[in-house]
Amino acid sequence: MISVSGVRKSFGAATVLNGVDLEIRQGEVVSVLGSSGSGKSTLIRCINGLEKIDAGKITVDNFDVSKPRELSEARKRSGTVFQLFNLYPHMTAVQNVALAPVEVLKVPRKQAEAEARELLKSVGLSDRADAYPSQLSGGQRQRVGICRALAMKPSYLLLDEVTSALDPEMTSEVLSILAKLAKGGTTMVFVTHEIEFARSISTRIAFLDKGTLIADLPTEEFFSDKGMALPRVAQFLSKMRKD
Amino acid sequence: MRYGDFTPFDIVLLLQGLGVSLALFVSTTLIGLVIGTAWAVIRFYRVPVLAQIVAFIAELLKNSPVLVQLFLVFFGLPAFLKINVTPTEAAVITLSGNSAAFIYVIAVSAIESVGRDQIEAARVFGLTRWQILRRVIAPQAAAFAIGPLTGLLVNQLQVTSLISVIGVMDLTKVGNILNLRTLKPFIVWTAVGALYYLTAKLVAYAGGRFEKRLRAHTAWRGL
Repeated sequence: MISVSGVRKSFGAATVLNGVDLEIRQGEVVSVLGSSGSGKSTLIRCINGLEKIDAGKITVDNFDVSKPRELSEARKRSGTVFQLFNLYPHMTAVQNVALAPVEVLKVPRKQAEAEARELLKSVGLSDRADAYPSQLSGGQRQRVGICRALAMKPSYLLLDEVTSALDPEMTSEVLSILAKLAKGGTTMVFVTHEIEFARSISTRIAFLDKGTLIADLPTEEFFSDKGMALPRVAQFLSKMRKD
Repeated sequence: MRYGDFTPFDIVLLLQGLGVSLALFVSTTLIGLVIGTAWAVIRFYRVPVLAQIVAFIAELLKNSPVLVQLFLVFFGLPAFLKINVTPTEAAVITLSGNSAAFIYVIAVSAIESVGRDQIEAARVFGLTRWQILRRVIAPQAAAFAIGPLTGLLVNQLQVTSLISVIGVMDLTKVGNILNLRTLKPFIVWTAVGALYYLTAKLVAYAGGRFEKRLRAHTAWRGL
């Protein structure tokens, strides 16, 4: 279980997270919605320990991410996929995927690369496995990014606006893979602007507004009268649908 | 045969001088690489106190003439610290320090050129600082640095000629001796210059080959 309780985070004078509580249990797909600047990405960056929180507590399977000793254990349990892919440009797709298993989990290189090839095959990239990131399209890069996270066999997948740098066609490439993962029971925290997609794969929707979680509802309820009763949510949804 | 004539043995002398120059160049480059890179890593991790000391030393070495540094080591160390140094030792110390200072500058910008986002990705997947340095930063920094580094080394090769003034028998010193004996400066210095030129070309060629290999991931075929 990922547990976020009373988390506050500010950058200088700007408060980005203002007391957020959220729990993600094994098997759930939780989409985090909210307008730009509402703190969605920061929440992910706090969970994987890239940002230090000012107050509150975040644990991943009871490992406290603010304690350096426990952070590495917490990180082994979650895999992050980034908005801008963040691939290692000097490594081929296979090497990108196999790096962490070899270095962190001490999997023998041959085995790690064979597993990486399998993963890449499962996302339709078997013929691009030896290409460098610069030779791949955006959608292909992000699929490599997903494989890189899956290679660590994480209990939780943290997805930080993974399609917002992609065009609609590439977006659907990536989303179809995520849908498959969700169906397969992968636990995910999915920060996104893809509302319809979030609706189709999520078990729960969390809505962040100016650093505060103003809704945390099962998907059905969020998109029903209960969610619409919250003015900020109704406003957001109507705006997003118009686009 | 008159005393002032060229003899076949002069070629051997020139090649011996070239050997000394090359040996000094290679050894001081390797020492400079190790020290300069270590300084850059200290600076990258903002190691307190050490980082400031390193920056200060590098500034001193970069902004003063190599010849002055050479004199300070060769005459200064025995005079003030009572440490005796041979000309070769003085040459190795001075040239290594000088190379280190310039390699430090290149290495710092090379390390900084590696995108933060990849380092974050590596951290998130649990790689240690050392693993990130070795597997993510170093290969990319090397690809970035090899161009400027080749340029620097071609220059440092020429700079080795300065050590002839304290009596190291390098290529320039041999040229000096031959010149005094034969009094044919145009021939002697043309030969010496050509040897430096060819060696420098070789360094540049090797650097170019190496660069191509390190930059395989950015196969850039021009516009």
